[in-house]
Amino acid sequence: MGLRVLFAGFVSCAALVSWAHAAGAPASLPDMSGAWARLTFGFEQPKSGMGPIGRYQNKSNVGGNFNHPNLTPAASQIVKDRGAMLRGGVDYPNPSLNCYPMISPYIFRVQEFQIVQKKDEVVFLFMQDHQVRRARLNAQHPANLKPSWYGDSIAHYEGDTLVVDTVGAKLGPYPNVDMYGSPYSDALHVVERYRLIPYDAAKAAQEKNIRDQGPVATEQAASVDENYKGSGLQVEFTVEDKNVFKAPWSASVTMRHAGGWVENVCAENAFEYYSNKITDIPTAAKPDF
Amino acid sequence: MHPALYTIARALLAGVVFVPLFHGSAFAAQTATPDFSGLWARTSLGYEKPLSGPGPIENRNRRPNGASNLSNLAGDYTDPRLKPEAAATLKRLSEWAQRNEAFPQPSNQCLPYPPPYIYSNNQEIQILQEKDRVTILTMFDHQFRHVRLNAQHPANLKPSWYGDSVGHYEGDTLVVDTIGIKLGPYPMVDILGTPFGPALHVVERFRLVDAATARAFAERGERENGVVAGLNGDGVEINPDKQDKGLQLTLTVEDPGVMTGAWSGTVTYRRPIDDWAESVCAENTREYYAGKDTAIPVAQRPDF
Repeated sequence: MGLRVLFAGFVSCAALVSWAHAAGAPASLPDMSGAWARLTFGFEQPKSGMGPIGRYQNKSNVGGNFNHPNLTPAASQIVKDRGAMLRGGVDYPNPSLNCYPMISPYIFRVQEFQIVQKKDEVVFLFMQDHQVRRARLNAQHPANLKPSWYGDSIAHYEGDTLVVDTVGAKLGPYPNVDMYGSPYSDALHVVERYRLIPYDAAKAAQEKNIRDQGPVATEQAASVDENYKGSGLQVEFTVEDKNVFKAPWSASVTMRHAGGWVENVCAENAFEYYSNKITDIPTAAKPDF
Repeated sequence: MHPALYTIARALLAGVVFVPLFHGSAFAAQTATPDFSGLWARTSLGYEKPLSGPGPIENRNRRPNGASNLSNLAGDYTDPRLKPEAAATLKRLSEWAQRNEAFPQPSNQCLPYPPPYIYSNNQEIQILQEKDRVTILTMFDHQFRHVRLNAQHPANLKPSWYGDSVGHYEGDTLVVDTIGIKLGPYPMVDILGTPFGPALHVVERFRLVDAATARAFAERGERENGVVAGLNGDGVEINPDKQDKGLQLTLTVEDPGVMTGAWSGTVTYRRPIDDWAESVCAENTREYYAGKDTAIPVAQRPDF
């Protein structure tokens, strides 16, 4: 009788403890950890609504479409000037060229990034020039926000989607919000939505982007793991900046599991991929000052 | 009380005694990975000397209070452990610094900081722990290194800026082993300019220490190496909470082509008050040693 009582008690309490742990356990979060890659620079057009301004012509190194109706007059002039410089054979100053931090969504020109999901923040590590962005989970933007290179990012999960909201971007000397030469202002507001998608959808999206934006750009040396048949990662972002764009616009980038992590160091890279030569970095035999 | 209820009550009471013991024993049997999460900071540069055994190369130039004079770097090229070529390199860089000019090093050339230099010249780190990888973030120029857990160095290792790092836990300690560090144009293991060669091998051991130990080591480091304000004017300020544990990194460095025998040093971190500070090399014009910003040449139009 005594042993049966003890056994019954043990079973009862084990069940109670398990229930308590189960009741307190957090809902499962989408696992976006690891390194993600793609082989192009351009953004994917949104399924509907306003998209990015796109290129001036359907070829490389021509600059952005400064005639796009969504640009404010001042922004249009900047895009036009930058495009003229590029068509003249000289790249206009931009964060990638000048080793500066990259604001979102410009930073999605980087072909590989890694996501580390922690309990109170999500950290994004980017291959190009070892950049780091952080998003504080379930937090608010501070009332007195000091502008910073990457802005202030907060995040939360909506079911299977990680939502990241960024404001407070510092302008710096070369403000570029996209690969088409569009500038940004201190009113920039970017919302990113990260979601795992089926392998077939990810592969199809990447292949379409290569057809639309191509060719495959290899100078960053990123690679996709073709043997991995699991989920891809799609990032949809919406950009609003009333001083630059008349209306918010959206675009996306689709990533697949990376084939490996590549060191990509801005201070070292002098390769002008568009003219297939090394930049003539000025040299001096002795310092000027 | 109804007899049945009494029986149930006795059963539950018995279970309450047994189950916590069982679960407690089960929990105790699992080895807990030390939790290094959060930000870790210090207010000095350089390495803390080891309590025993060979330590890092020292700065010959000291301030009146005995601390290293970071405004006048002169690595001790007379240290008998240095091989002749390494001593000559360090002498050349020391003489360069005596002309009141900064010799090129990764931090002023915006190049990646290889280990262990990345700890000699940094004030804040963050460690992101995942099941098969640890990522170590460092504040200066927003850098990070990957450490593959419970892995081996590849047989055909291609040198890279940060080297190949593998790690594992030994109880409360994270051990990181790095080889294959690319030389680059300015290879050095410390801010004094002590060079390194292709055989450089660095072992890092991270562990939490109690608040008193952290404070003692950190303050000794400040006495040896001086106290610096953070770059870009963003000072790193330590949280005065006396209860906070610290994080101690013990480095062991060997490089047979450069120095006879291995050497050790520590870097002890405590919790900062502020958030992570953005530190961007391409922007940083701060001449901390002269208390002013560098006068960067400007041009109205490009020369080419």
